[in-house]
Order: sequence, then C-alpha cells, then structure tokens
Amino acid sequence: MSGGFSEILWPVQSGLPLLLVLQLLPLVGAAVVFAFNERSTAVVAGKVFALAELLLCIVVASRIKPESATLQLAERFVPLGYHVAVDGISLVFLLVAALLTFLMTLYGMSRGMISPGRLFAVLLVAEAGLVGMLVTLNIAWFAAFSALELWAVTYLLRRWASSRAETQALARFVQYQAFGWALFVGGCLVLGWSHADATGGRWSFDLFDLAGTVPAGKFQTAAFYLLFYGLAVRTPLFPLHGWLPNMAQHGLIAVGPALMVGVKVGIYGMLRFVLPLTPAAVEYWQPYVVGFAMAGVFFTAALAFQQTNLRRLLAFAVVSHTSLLVIGVFSLHEAGIQGTVLLAANFGLAVTGMWFIVGFVFRRTGTTELGELSGLFERIPFLAIAFLIFGLAIVGMPGTPGFDAAHLILEASIDSFGALPTVAAALGNVAAAGFLLWAFQRAFLSQGKQGGHDVDRTMPMEYLVCGIALVAMLAIGFFTEPWLHLTETASQAVAERFAR
Amino acid sequence: MTPPLLSLLVFLPLAGAALLWLLPACAARVVTAGAMLATLAAASAVMVAFDPDGPRFQLIERVLWVASLNVHYQLGIDGLSVLFPPATALLFLGALVASWNLVHDAPRFYYSLLLLLQCATLGIFCALDTVLFFVFWELTLVPLYFLLGRWGAVAGSARVAAHYFLIMLAGGVPLLLAFVLLAASQSVPTFDLLALLAVPLPHATQYAFLLLCLIGFGVKVPLVPLHTWLPQFALAAPGSLTALLVGLKLGAYGLVRFAIPLAPDAAQDLHWLLAGLGTVTLIYGAVGILAQSNLRVALAYASICHVGLAVLGLAAFTAQGVQGAVSLLLSFSVATGGAFLLLEFLRQRTGSTDIHSLGGAAKTMPLLASGFLICGLAGVGMPGTSSFPGEFMLILAALQSHTGAGMAALFGLAIAAAGFLALYRKAFFGPVTRREVAEAEDLRPREWAVLIVLIFLVGAIGLYPSPWLEIVRPAAEAWAAGLAR
Repeated sequence: MSGGFSEILWPVQSGLPLLLVLQLLPLVGAAVVFAFNERSTAVVAGKVFALAELLLCIVVASRIKPESATLQLAERFVPLGYHVAVDGISLVFLLVAALLTFLMTLYGMSRGMISPGRLFAVLLVAEAGLVGMLVTLNIAWFAAFSALELWAVTYLLRRWASSRAETQALARFVQYQAFGWALFVGGCLVLGWSHADATGGRWSFDLFDLAGTVPAGKFQTAAFYLLFYGLAVRTPLFPLHGWLPNMAQHGLIAVGPALMVGVKVGIYGMLRFVLPLTPAAVEYWQPYVVGFAMAGVFFTAALAFQQTNLRRLLAFAVVSHTSLLVIGVFSLHEAGIQGTVLLAANFGLAVTGMWFIVGFVFRRTGTTELGELSGLFERIPFLAIAFLIFGLAIVGMPGTPGFDAAHLILEASIDSFGALPTVAAALGNVAAAGFLLWAFQRAFLSQGKQGGHDVDRTMPMEYLVCGIALVAMLAIGFFTEPWLHLTETASQAVAERFAR
Repeated sequence: MTPPLLSLLVFLPLAGAALLWLLPACAARVVTAGAMLATLAAASAVMVAFDPDGPRFQLIERVLWVASLNVHYQLGIDGLSVLFPPATALLFLGALVASWNLVHDAPRFYYSLLLLLQCATLGIFCALDTVLFFVFWELTLVPLYFLLGRWGAVAGSARVAAHYFLIMLAGGVPLLLAFVLLAASQSVPTFDLLALLAVPLPHATQYAFLLLCLIGFGVKVPLVPLHTWLPQFALAAPGSLTALLVGLKLGAYGLVRFAIPLAPDAAQDLHWLLAGLGTVTLIYGAVGILAQSNLRVALAYASICHVGLAVLGLAAFTAQGVQGAVSLLLSFSVATGGAFLLLEFLRQRTGSTDIHSLGGAAKTMPLLASGFLICGLAGVGMPGTSSFPGEFMLILAALQSHTGAGMAALFGLAIAAAGFLALYRKAFFGPVTRREVAEAEDLRPREWAVLIVLIFLVGAIGLYPSPWLEIVRPAAEAWAAGLAR
C-alpha cells in the first residue's frame, strides 16, 4: 500500500545519501560551534556550516528531476520508521530555509549580539529541525523535528530577548506552541490508530502507509481538525496568531520570528500531510477554511493599521499574508498550490529581509516605535529602499516572485471560488500595501524631530545581508521559469487527489 | 536581422540610470540629459523605421519569457502607438530641464528614478503582451511614489504619494484580473495581444473584461468618479512631475489598445456607458475649472475635461473617432505638458501658482505669459493649434454617433475655454500687487529652448496636421475594421 505515492531511492540518483547528510550537517555544525564555545572561531565555523548547508541544498536541487511526480532521493530505515525524500515543493522550502539561516548567521554578526557562538549553535539546531521537517515522510518524525525546532526557538527567546516584557512573550509562545504541537500529535495518533485498525494492529506513521488507509467519516474529520489546527497555530493562521505579535515585539528581533515564520513549514505540512491524508474532510471543510482565511486577511490588515510598533506591525503583516497562502492551498487547484509554494518562498524571503532591516534600525535607534522613528531615509537610503522593495514583494509587485505567484493564485481562485472572493482577496493585498507603505513613510520619510543625524551610515555587512536577499528576490522575480518548472509537476500531483 | 530597435528604445533610459551610478554625482544631470537625448533619437529612429502603409504591427520582437505561463517578452508598435514614444521622450527632456537647478539632495537617485519612469512609460507604449504591459504599468508606480514623496512641492506630499500609489495599486487589481480572465478564456492560455485580437472572446467574458478594464484604466485616465487623486496630485507634485503624469495619457491609451479592441461586442453594446462616462467627465472637468483659483489644479481639470472628450469620441467606434482621440492625446502631451512646465517655471519664481498671489504677471514675464497662453489655448482646442484637428474629428464623430452627448460636449468645451481665459486674465493681467511678481525675471535661455520646441510643435502640427494624421490613419482604420461585427 503506498496510497498513490511512488519514490526513487537515492542510489539511483546520487552516490551519497544526500538527504541524510543534509540533516546531519547542521547538527554536526551545532556541535562544533558549541565545542568552540566563545572563541571567535565559533562564529566563523557557524557561518561556514550555514553556507555549506546552502550549497548542499543547491546540489540536491541539481540532482532531482522536477518533471517527474515521484518523490526522489528517498532513504528508508524501517526499524526507526526513518523515511525521507524530496520533490519540487519541498526543495523550494529547503532552499529558503538554508538561505535564510545563512543570512541569519551574517546578520547575527553585524548586530553585535552577546555570545554569538552559542547563538549560532542554537541557530544550527533550529535549522536541523527545519530541514528534518521538510525532508521527512513520516508524520511522527515531522512532529519530533518540530519539537526540536520549537525548543531551539524557545531557548533563543529566553536567552537573547531584547526587552523586559520577554517573560510574558515567552510564556505566550510556549503555551500556544505546546498546545498546537499537542493537537498535531493527537492528529498523528488518530491516523496511526486507524492504520493499525485497518492492518490488524500494525502501527505506522509513514505517509505512504497512512495514505493507503485513510480513516473514514468522523475519524477523518477529527484527524483533519487536529492536524490542521496544530499547523495553524504554527503557521500562524488567524485567529490562532496570538503568540506572534508579542514574540515579535519583545523577542530577539529578527532571528526568532524569521525561524518561526520565514520558512512556512505550516503551509508545507498542510500540502505534504493534511491534504493527502484527509482528502474527504479537506474537501468538505474547504469553504469554512477559506471563509476564515478571507476574514483573516482583512481583520489582521485592519489590526496592522492600529499598530504603533514596527515589529508588531510586521507580525500582523505575516498573519495577513499567511491567510492568503491558506486560500491558495485550499483552492485545491494545481495553479493555486504552485502559486502558494512560490508565494510562501517570496513571503519568507521578503518578511525576513524586512525583519533584518528592523533589526538594523533598532541597533541604531534603540526603538522600533513608529512615533519615535523618523527621517531614516536620509541616513540609510539603501536599507530604506530595500525595506520598500521587500514590502512591494509582499504585495506582489511585478519583478518579484510574488507577481507570478499571486497571478497563479488568482487564476486558481477564479476557477475554484469565482470572481468576487478573488477580488476580495486581491484587495486584501492592497490593504497590506497600505499599511506597509504607511509604516515606511513614518519610519523612513517623515521629517525628523531630532534630525536623525546621530544615525550611523549603512555598514558593509548590512549591504551584504540585504543585498543577497534582494538579489535572490529579484533574480527569482525576473526569471521565474526555473522555479515554475521545479514546482509544476509536484503541485499537479498534490492537486490530482482532488478531482473536480 | 534588424537591430532590436524597440528594446533599445525602452532600455536606453535604464542604461543611462546604471551609468549614473558609475560616475560622480555632479555629472548626474548631464548624463541624464545625454540618456534622454539618445532616447529621443531612438524614438525618432523608430518613427522613421515605421512604415504607415505596411502591416499593422511592425518592429515586432518576441522572446519567450516565462514558458510555463506562456508569457512572452513581445514589443511592437502600430500607427496608434508610434507617435507616443517621441512625445514621451520630448516631455521627459522638458521635465528634466524644468527641474535642472532644483535637485540638490541625492541627485543620482532622483535622476535614476526619472529614467526608470521613462523606461516603464516607453515600455507601456511598446508592449504587445498583456503581462509585459502590466509589468511596465505597475513599474511606473515606484519611481512616481519616490519622486513625489521625497521631492514633493508641499509638506504633505508624502501622504499624497502614498494615496496615489494605493489608488493605482487598487486599480491594478481589476486590470490583472481582466488579463487573467482573458488568458483563461482561450483554449491555450495566452497573453499575446496579437493572438488575442485574432480570436474573438465569448460574449459573456467580454462584458466582464470590459468592465474590469474600465475600472482599471478609468482610475488612471481619470474618468469621473475615479478622478479624485488628480487635483491633489497636481497641487502636491512639482510641475515637471505633473507634466509627465498628466501629459502622458496612459489610461486612455490602455482603453484604445486593450479594452475596446479585445471586447468589441461588449464595447459596442455598452456604447452608452462609454459615451456617458466621457460626457460626464468632460462636463465635470469643465465646470471644475470654474471653481479653481490655482492654475495647476485648473489645468488638471482641463485635462480631465479633454480626456472625457477623447473617450466620448472613442465611443463612436469609427476610424475618425480613434484617430481624433490619438491625435488629441498626442497633442496633449505637448500642450498640457508644456503648460505644466511653464507653471513650474512660474512657481519657481513667485512661489505660487494661485491667482490670488499672482496678478499682472504678464508685465514682468511677458515671454512666460505668452508661452502659457499658447499652450493653454492649445489645451482648449483653439484652431491653428495642435489640438484642433483631433478635437474637431472627435466632435464630429461624437455628433454623428451620440448627437446629444456631442452637443453637450461642445457646450462643455466652451465653458472650459471661458474658465481658462478668466483664470488667465486674473493671473497675468491687471495691476502687479505682489513683490515676488514684480521682481520676477522672465524666462532664461534654457527655459526658452524648451518653450520654443514645444510651441513650434504646437503651431506646426496645428497648421499642417496631415503628415501626422496620415501616420495614424491606416492603423485607425484597421482598428475600426476590427470592431465591425
């Protein structure tokens, strides 16, 4: 029983179990960096490992055949239920995760954090968690890696928080995430149980096995709700986003939020596990999910307008556009899913870039209150323009990956829901443009009270971090073809389960 | 293999912008001037290379851009669009001269934005693929936002810039939707305008497409009631920028190029809607002039008024109508653009373009006053100026197809002319009351040069219009023939 999935084992495509190396490298890196302790070599080692992981991801991308719908480079170790493989969709997420981690190591340096060695070690552990989630085909392993990553982020928040209210933010974060994780694990258990029921007591959490024994009726609905809401907390989807604004405002500025929302593992989890494992429930609940997501786009956009803190505002921007991604996933349409994957990568890059810039601004001014920022454009024009371009990418400006992606989602949305909801969703995007521009104006363009002359000029490392993110963004934006090619067949394979 | 003339034209400004950053900041405006002159030369070369009696679309360049979406990088021009690039190049050159001494902070940034805007504008006129067109269309917003937000003429200009940006972005939503709808209606989704023109759309899709386009382009045109951004923009922006925005009628061009030819049946069924919108816009603009005391805002209303006339003429769906519309739009680039530039010169001297703080300006600035009169008269369609042929054809077309609306349009134009002359009298004649006006100096040689070129064009096209009209005519006839059912 493989539930419609097929795979190509790794020896066919490469001489090495690449995915195993991909998962172990950050862990080894974390151990090495940890061993160096506070020596300056730790920092260098952290960067080297992050870069090596990024290069390895590129090697993996060059090995797979995107035009085939099968999962590739598969590795299995049955006694532990270890089962990994990648396709076009997971590769996009993997590349984003590796790129963002590498940028974070550069960023961490330029911000001048305390004990950077320890920070990098934890960062690499978090990366290992992310990579593990993105390559595994075993839903229990997914949950385990998710726990690993959450632990790493919690530790980061505890140790490197940037404001006094951190404990409150931390408590909220742990409560929400633990609850979401528990829901997800509950969902896994329901699925595993029903598999055991169907096969006479043999438990399994493997995607291939589970897809062959999809539970019927109420159990499927229960599994769907547990998994979906577990991931929705993580994603975060309105109205389960309560942890993010506090964490964004009080936690470590860029690294924490970027790890949690830069790589949209929640969306990935829905595509990889929820859609194939509970197809009937997905189709049944589709209108409700989409309705909530629509409301979320506008409600959070309205909340974003109320914010006086740049970091909180960005947090609401994330919630608003995540709703758009969920609409894309639940269009259950190949173009919509392909658009969602690209848009998720686009949002991840753009929002992380914006968060970096907020971090740079915080280092100069010691505040992210919009009322206290002004006239930054005169002193750091490059960062200001980068901020605006990232903002425009979120809105789907032509020339950024958001454009083709939004285009695909619109097409799918017209097909699945008709014109009116589509227009509404697109207008939600314009609302996002509204608050991002408004924030940009207040922070960067408004006339300064104190003149802003004590603000440092842009530093080389800042040029590098934002420059890499910008180049990656615009390069994908103007040459979308390879990315569309990479994700096309895999998206079709996901959508095929929902014949219409 | 012919050289890719249109790509050269579109990307010359961008190359200039890149060059800016390699050279020291003090050379910025000279480099910009060089790039704009080169662009003007390229635009002229395109005009010469274009054969009005040849095939409809010429100088076509086509490269596959995004294969899986079937999007092409496709440029090309026909008789309706070939005159727009030279007008664009000329107007940008004028705008550069008008702001020659004004840009002191971050000049390289300012000039590269100006060049980027020029690149996007030229791209709009040359694009023959709906996605490419949309890319250029949205790309104009970024430079405009920065130019207005950072170098605006008044304190609140950043807010106006954001307002403009958001309205235009919201206008882009129906437009993108229209193009996606269009592509999805084909058996093989395509964004290629030439292919789309060849296959008629299903009837129901045409209505949706036309209405979405009317909203999307109507915001830019601007058609009443989507016009609210223009007067405040005209007030907040420096004159050179307003000249570019108002002088280049991108919205009306979009209606001519995409909305009507791609949905011919729906457009002809809804002729009353187009004609009605045109008439309302015309009358509204004309009456709006009467209520203004600021010359810049009045000029913005005058342009609303004329573009209403162009839409009314288009609603006749005849070759005469579209020929008139295109020539009026072109004349507008020169005349209204010129008038805005002159107002910018005036604002630099007196600090205001409000009639209450002018009065008697003709005494101290006779050249400026007479130049403004000529451009202004061209703006209200005086015989002998470049606007007259186009206006005449439009009125004729309107009277034949919608007689009542045509009569109303005549009446509206009379109001507009009267309103303009009344404002002109108050601003430029009468006793000099203010010190700024009394001490103002007349046009400098650099400004003179701009004026001479513009006035020469206004007069020359007005007195001997046939060569220009002949370039447009074959394409206009093909356009009208394409609508026949």
